[in-house]
Amino acid sequence: MSRPWITGAGAVSALGRTSEEFYRRLLAGESAIRPFTAEERGPLQATHVARYDSFTPSPEIPAMKARRFDRGSQFAILACSQAIAEAGFPVAQDPEAIGIALGTGSAGAGALTEFLRVLLTESPEAAPPFHFPNTVANAPASQVSIELKLYGPNVTITQKDPSGLNALLFASLALSSGRAAAMLAGAVDEWNPVYARGFDRVGALRGEKRESGIVQGEGGFAVLLEEGGRAEARGARPLARLAGIGTAGVPGEPYRFAPDPAAIERAIRGALSEAGAAPSDVHLWFPSRNGVVDMDRAEKAVVARMFGTLPREICVKAAIGEMAAAGGGQIVAACRALADPDGPFPSGVRPRRALVNSFGAGGNFFAAVFESAA
Amino acid sequence: MALERRVVVTGLGAVTSIGTTVSEFWNNLLAGVCGIRPLSLFDASTYRTQTAGEVSEIPDGFLSPAEKRRMSRADRMGLVAAEEALSQSGLDIGAEDPTRIGVILGGGTSGLLDSEQVYATWLRGGRGRASRVLNHLPDAITDRVAQRFGLEGLKSTITTACSSAANAMGYAYDAVAAGLADVMVTGGSDVLARLTYGGFNSLRSVDPDPCRPFDRERRGLSIGEAAGILVFEEEERARRRGAPILAEFLGYGVTSDAFHMTAPDPSGTAGARTVRAALDAAGRNPGDVDYVNAHGTATAQNDSAETAALKAALGDRAREIPVSSIKSMIGHCLCASGAIEAVATVQTVREGRVPPTIHYENPDPACDLDYVPNESREVPVRVALSNSFAFGGNSSVVVIGRYS
Repeated sequence: MSRPWITGAGAVSALGRTSEEFYRRLLAGESAIRPFTAEERGPLQATHVARYDSFTPSPEIPAMKARRFDRGSQFAILACSQAIAEAGFPVAQDPEAIGIALGTGSAGAGALTEFLRVLLTESPEAAPPFHFPNTVANAPASQVSIELKLYGPNVTITQKDPSGLNALLFASLALSSGRAAAMLAGAVDEWNPVYARGFDRVGALRGEKRESGIVQGEGGFAVLLEEGGRAEARGARPLARLAGIGTAGVPGEPYRFAPDPAAIERAIRGALSEAGAAPSDVHLWFPSRNGVVDMDRAEKAVVARMFGTLPREICVKAAIGEMAAAGGGQIVAACRALADPDGPFPSGVRPRRALVNSFGAGGNFFAAVFESAA
Repeated sequence: MALERRVVVTGLGAVTSIGTTVSEFWNNLLAGVCGIRPLSLFDASTYRTQTAGEVSEIPDGFLSPAEKRRMSRADRMGLVAAEEALSQSGLDIGAEDPTRIGVILGGGTSGLLDSEQVYATWLRGGRGRASRVLNHLPDAITDRVAQRFGLEGLKSTITTACSSAANAMGYAYDAVAAGLADVMVTGGSDVLARLTYGGFNSLRSVDPDPCRPFDRERRGLSIGEAAGILVFEEEERARRRGAPILAEFLGYGVTSDAFHMTAPDPSGTAGARTVRAALDAAGRNPGDVDYVNAHGTATAQNDSAETAALKAALGDRAREIPVSSIKSMIGHCLCASGAIEAVATVQTVREGRVPPTIHYENPDPACDLDYVPNESREVPVRVALSNSFAFGGNSSVVVIGRYS
């Protein structure tokens, strides 16, 4: 079985509405992280956020239709449409062959908090039925399948920050088992003020009272992962290939970070081993670094020890914030970088392999290696 | 196929409104006991309906008071079921490589019951207790199971509404069959909450009385809560260590209806695709199937669409085999329904006894299969299907077979 190809990518984020724009602005060192407005901030001690302020679903989704979708679903529909368009995958010819796996930490938050607000402050009978179907975290992936008429596998994964890489693993298994010939894989998140308050109260966000913590973001990212043989047969061109995924779990409290060097190394070694690559074969690194100080320190120490010198890096979360969707952003950026004929850096050298790390609270560690198709 | 390894079930655990061990749950299923009663977990007087399949007492005495305080109701139910399942499996985790044992659960409501209260406090201008929102996201239970039993393998939580646990079992199967893990603790735990109770009521989908799947007079679902946990294990090693092999997980089908967010495809075309995908993945034919554990929610739309799907996918075989809905006894346990129904299906395959659909009185021309009305039945079952259909058109069917 050949390695899965990535034949298309999509991004809808504060750094742009296409994967190309996202990648270019990322390389240019832009960041969407900004101070909260007073109104947004409310009682939070957190000071910064990375929202997609200028987002409108139009022109791709007409305004009348866009009302049916919550924000996360709008992000997902656009990102997934872009990935399929770039790949040129003939969905209508073979709808059963294509499915979707998305990771998320917040999908459904807007509908959920609005439905509950009315239920709790007025009455259960007053709660708006319109919102209830969108309170499920699978709303974005399912709306994508309905909009794009995908009949294949359809799952949504919520497992902390690495949910996007977790979805990529599910997608790769769907291909290797023959359940699908192509899978959209990625992640989506919408920023929500009530969820932000929750994360702030439990000590997850960086701010006035806390130097260690994340800045929240939002956006939607997807790639199209295809079974290599079939992609080649239909004349598709790969942006990159998925070479390996490694995972590790650490038993611990669900919301605590476990900066465990052994688990970090196990995840990275797992991905390298499946890729058949040595650390010296990796030329580009997308760190998990997100502002949780002891996790960031542990990651850097492990990578330095394993790789000798640190590979060139692109830190996605410094640009768009942390969320499950950031893992999707790392995947998209890695694929674009490997497909970039000029290479991501002024040297003009094209990296052969990229390592994506994605670690979350509760002892959840993922790493993936992508390789150049050139 | 890269999924070359066989996967067997070596442990089961159940926490439901009609039993908090597998044997109690199973005996009550066979006896047709109904667990749908007046709801007491929160004040339901202002809701349209007031009944649910509520778990009256969670036997979580093995947890310390401090542990219980940190955990949600769904965490505690999930841990009780996991304790039972792992204990039955006889796995000595201390003697195993913990990196080869993972956890994949379906979840949704998780700690919502607690976070709803904090949110109500915030809406009144108060501060609330931060610790009560810590378990809001569904992945908390998965991490708790790994924490309690010291598991270091792949962890994941699938949230696809009412097919969450079925898909979680599918992912767990893939992981073991593909060699990413040797053992997976899988299933799901989902509890009653104001959001889901109010939500289905707002859609006018809840029967004020215990639900009546496939009955012409059915008026909607009953909501329930449950934890169902299954231990999946690679077949050769299970055999080698003399594990109790309860059944084989033969495969699963997962598809998108791509039809509508809340309504099933009434023609059954979409559901039939899922059943066919499941049989294909399991390498079985309609003639091999001896029982279907139906999704059977008792909504007008589901039961006729599901019946049409079974007839389209199984052909004549659909009319020859029993099809029952245990939701008539425990309600629709939402994100855990696929798991608790898989536990019942494994028991059916093991014992050759099919649980009934209770509250069944009036045949519906649109639902014309054998729904095992009101009385359990002895039927040898080689291969059984368990169906899960969800909001979003996320449909999944798992295939469970007698081990030989």
